[in-house]
Amino acid sequence: MSEILVIIPAYNEEKSIVSTVEKIRALNPAPDYCIVNDGSSDDTAVICKEHDYNLLDLPINLGLAGAFQAGMRYACMKGYKYAVQFDGDGQHRPEYIYPMYLKAREGYNIVIASRFAAEYKPFSIRMLGSNLIELAILFSTGHKIKDPTSGMRMFDRGVIETFASRINYAPEPDTLAYLLRQGLKVTEIQASMDIRTQGKSYLTPINAARYMVRMLTSIIIIQNFREKRKDYI
Amino acid sequence: MTLTLRICLIIASVLATFVVIHKIRKSRMHINDAVYWVLISLLFIILAIYPPILYFFTNLFGMQSPANLLFMIVIFLLIVRIFSMSIEISALKGDIKKLIQDIALGEHSGGDEKHE
Repeated sequence: MSEILVIIPAYNEEKSIVSTVEKIRALNPAPDYCIVNDGSSDDTAVICKEHDYNLLDLPINLGLAGAFQAGMRYACMKGYKYAVQFDGDGQHRPEYIYPMYLKAREGYNIVIASRFAAEYKPFSIRMLGSNLIELAILFSTGHKIKDPTSGMRMFDRGVIETFASRINYAPEPDTLAYLLRQGLKVTEIQASMDIRTQGKSYLTPINAARYMVRMLTSIIIIQNFREKRKDYI
Repeated sequence: MTLTLRICLIIASVLATFVVIHKIRKSRMHINDAVYWVLISLLFIILAIYPPILYFFTNLFGMQSPANLLFMIVIFLLIVRIFSMSIEISALKGDIKKLIQDIALGEHSGGDEKHE
């Protein structure tokens, strides 16, 4: 058994799930992985079963947070030391998993595969959102996270246990802000990401606006009032 | 807007904010659900502290009194919330039904395998 579990939440990823998993299995040594099928309406689950992949098959759609938490519960139950959040749509590259692992072993609780740790952010509407969240986190925690919306993150054992058992730990920037305030060590390593190969993004303009309102309200206001966790300090 | 209404509004909105915050502290509420209430209570605190905003819109819509506008806003927000809750409850009912059926079907086919 590897020390690392790669959690792959998959919602309607029938076209890309096989190549994603095969790329992870091609790593040497190969980390363990767990696909969480989030109640897909396409053949994601069927394809995973045909290939005999390690699969958690949720009977209904829970959304990213619920699906990811299922993966974290699995990691917690099986005793993995590190868990990686990894998209099933082919935009994340497995070759960054071990660099993240090495970084995490230096004593970081969360390592983010960041598109902008060493490179400049391009200017676009999407990046404006990223900048706003970065600013909100800087303002409320004093820490700079250059790519808070990156969906590829590694969590250590302590964080796995917290995510597995509690509500309000969605794998989103506001949780990062909260954990930073609790004194957890978060760092970033530079990573490239691919354009998603298949499937369409959830990010319609209305969804994006809603996401921004939710994240900014949460980071700037709500996270201030959450209970202080003593076990982190 | 009368002073009494203003005071009521301030007290109610501050109280509402505290209840929401308390529920978040105790991890009894999802942040996604809390965002709506936090924003609404902020809106009311702002309106109570600085009523000229309300007067401006009262004149703009040609309404009799700011209180009427306030009631209209509140009723509108509540209807929107109730409607979205109704949709959420429908979805939850569907989810529960599917889960119960899945469990029953799973047990049934599991039982069949034992007989074979």
